[in-house]
Amino acid sequence: MSSQTLDKLPAGASGTVLDVGGEPALQQRLLEMGVLPGIEVKVVRFAPLGDPMEIKVMGYSLSLRKAEAAHVTVERA
Amino acid sequence: MTEASTSTRHEGHARHDRHAIALMGNPNTGKSSLFNALTGARQKIANFPGVTVEAKIGTTRFENSEFTIIDLPGTYSLAARSPDERVATDALLGRIEGTPKPDGVVIVLDASSLDRNLYIGTQVLEFGLPAVVALTMLDVAESRGIKIDTEKLSKTLGVPVVVVNAPKGKGIDELKGTLHRALHHPGKKLELSYPDDFKRGVDTLHAELLDLGVKLGFTPTRPEALRLLVDGAGPFFDECEEVGGEEWTRKFFEIRERAAAGRSLSMLEAQTRYGAIGQWMREVKQAEAREGRTRTDVVDGILTHKLWGSLVFIVVMGLIFQSIYSWSGPLMDTIDGGFGALGDWVGGMMGEGALKSLVVDGVIAGVGGVLIFLPQILILFLFIAILEDLGYMSRAAFLMDRLMSRFGLSGKAFIPLLSSFACNIPGIMGARVIEDRNTRLTTIFLAPFMSCSARLPVYTLFIAAFVPQIKLLGFLELQGLVLFAMYWVGVLFAIPTALVLKKGILKSKVTPFLLELPSYKMPRPKAVGRVLWERGGSFVRRAGTIILAVSVLVWAAGYFPRGAEIDDKHDAAIAAAEGAYSEAVVSFDPEADIESALAQFKAIDDAHEERTAGLEGEEPEVEAATAESDKQREAEIAELAAKHPAAFTDYENWLKLEEQRSEIENRRAGEHLENSILGRMGHVIEPAVEPLGWDWRIGMAAIASFPAREVIVATLGTIFNLGSEEDEESQTLREVVQNATRPDGSKLFSLATGLSIMVFFALCAQCAATLAVMRRETNSWKWPLASFAYMTGLAYVAALVTFQVAHALGG
Repeated sequence: MSSQTLDKLPAGASGTVLDVGGEPALQQRLLEMGVLPGIEVKVVRFAPLGDPMEIKVMGYSLSLRKAEAAHVTVERA
Repeated sequence: MTEASTSTRHEGHARHDRHAIALMGNPNTGKSSLFNALTGARQKIANFPGVTVEAKIGTTRFENSEFTIIDLPGTYSLAARSPDERVATDALLGRIEGTPKPDGVVIVLDASSLDRNLYIGTQVLEFGLPAVVALTMLDVAESRGIKIDTEKLSKTLGVPVVVVNAPKGKGIDELKGTLHRALHHPGKKLELSYPDDFKRGVDTLHAELLDLGVKLGFTPTRPEALRLLVDGAGPFFDECEEVGGEEWTRKFFEIRERAAAGRSLSMLEAQTRYGAIGQWMREVKQAEAREGRTRTDVVDGILTHKLWGSLVFIVVMGLIFQSIYSWSGPLMDTIDGGFGALGDWVGGMMGEGALKSLVVDGVIAGVGGVLIFLPQILILFLFIAILEDLGYMSRAAFLMDRLMSRFGLSGKAFIPLLSSFACNIPGIMGARVIEDRNTRLTTIFLAPFMSCSARLPVYTLFIAAFVPQIKLLGFLELQGLVLFAMYWVGVLFAIPTALVLKKGILKSKVTPFLLELPSYKMPRPKAVGRVLWERGGSFVRRAGTIILAVSVLVWAAGYFPRGAEIDDKHDAAIAAAEGAYSEAVVSFDPEADIESALAQFKAIDDAHEERTAGLEGEEPEVEAATAESDKQREAEIAELAAKHPAAFTDYENWLKLEEQRSEIENRRAGEHLENSILGRMGHVIEPAVEPLGWDWRIGMAAIASFPAREVIVATLGTIFNLGSEEDEESQTLREVVQNATRPDGSKLFSLATGLSIMVFFALCAQCAATLAVMRRETNSWKWPLASFAYMTGLAYVAALVTFQVAHALGG
């Protein structure tokens, strides 16, 4: 019902990944790093200048740019 | 090495065997500490042709076996989009010349994030090499409430699992023993349950690749076929396309389309791997739900906080910059002074001539010119190693990425570029932390634009000489303002250069900024020390040789040819001056003990010199003390002169002789330089540098400063017949530069000329050390050559515009 892109989640919010798109190299990198459908992610914070963002996925912290996160669709928890 | 020589070298052992072992895994897993624990000091850096990443090779023993351990760069996946990423697969399959083919592999897995670590684990296991898993960070995992059943993990993966804690030395021997056994019992290939149509696609492609094998020069394996099918691009694809032609490419995409059947193959691969991993983990891993924040979460709350994080970052960066800039000063002075003294000492023992000049001005000065950079390199790497070990480097990149991405760079480029302001060399070496090849190359290319401390002597000399000492708006020193502006010149040109590079030659399709933020750890002094030792050694060995060679070459160009007629002329002049002096002595009263009286005069001068030796600067106290001492000297001399008038006359004559001698020697040095290859080159390029407001002497000094920018100060000193002992603060050089004239009597330097020289030196790549390090770090001459050509061109045009504009404005 409330599917949106990962970059739009506020800090502290979690969600389940629905789809990962983007240019092939980006999509592949995201998938390899564990951002794939069915996996839970949590937005930890945004950098002081507003970009990039930090998320928790598979028990570790990953930093990615908002433009990259925009290719990840999540179902907000 | 032949079998025979191997066995004779280790005679005494009943049986001896050697095995090569590859070490693979994610970054930040403790892979390097494991490698160090295994191999100790017995390691060297492996050179991979054509790529900018490197591996380390070391050896270790177990009973009668010797293991050659190849520590491959840490990576999250074997997917190879660039030659740098392809290295891991090539090394694993023994396709890199000079690097042994691995007989087995140690897969390093971080227990605290096992799921993600297993991703590349499954990729490596598919190759079916004998393998052992080294499970690290089990203590970290346990502190987070994660329990791993290592026996079940071993059973599931079909390979032995050994728990290691390398910093504490735990599990190392067990790992070696397990490895030894595993090598003799090849593991079973990991089979994941990919969809059938995908598997068929891999088989079909593998068959096609085997057909292509002869042309490729190696036998492609099935896991490579899988990689190629999924990646659909990259260096392996390019290779196949090159030997297979259009026909092959067409077939490839047909196979790929059939295997994909409308799905994303990357998605399919990731889901199959992570699907299997997820299933295994349900058996192997027990995670207590702990809601408490970890220590890393708490620290990150401050270090990446909007306000506090930014503050800490600014303080840390300020500290790094300050230390490279000012801490290195005394060390550099010591090295500089040490080599100066060494040169004097060695020079004193050698007879005059080319050999002495080669040893003193070529070799010793050249080696000093290499080692002078060590303090800055070591200080920067001390910080980088501590911050990297701590886990702060990736946070710094996180904080700065937004800013740097505007210029097409990444957050990781910030520290290398900042430290380039102190010295470009550690900056270029620091760019290693950037994983993405194109971003790393762009950063390396931009580093020399940052105004390093070697440019400061050039700025200070010309600013002191030509920029008036006035205040703008009552408080802004114009001289300081010009100096500030010089620092910005480089940055101003670097920005468009970065944008053009990233949009053009170094365009990455996308440079994903996916960066793991690892847990904070206490830096280990041993690991930090090792980094310093490696970086320092690598600079001295690899860049040092090139710098030394260039120094000797430039020395030779400035020394040869040695015009005999120049020496004859000046020898004659000296002989004439000495003859005139002796004649004058003879005419005195032979009864008076002139020798001893003369010695007394000289003693007065020496005493004066000693009194004023430590006095430097322009402070009133210093000047007063100097004047005081001078007054004392004059009084003493007058007193002595009254007693020994004849000796006084002789003393005056002797002073005159000394002055004449040094003038003649300076003229001789100047004429030799003009006559040398370097001097002739200066004349040749004079028409080209004329529009910059330069004459052949400045042009020659610019060429001579190729080994290092600051050399221009000494060269200008020599060429204006001052002797080469001048430094930028000497009153005389500044005055001479102010007063130097062209043959027609007009002033050579003006404000416009000074500005043009400063702008040229702000932008040019006149630093052999930087270019040598660039060659070393990019593993190719292409980049240093491009950098030199581009920066010299830019410097020329900018200096031209500066001069013409300033001249037109009446500078």
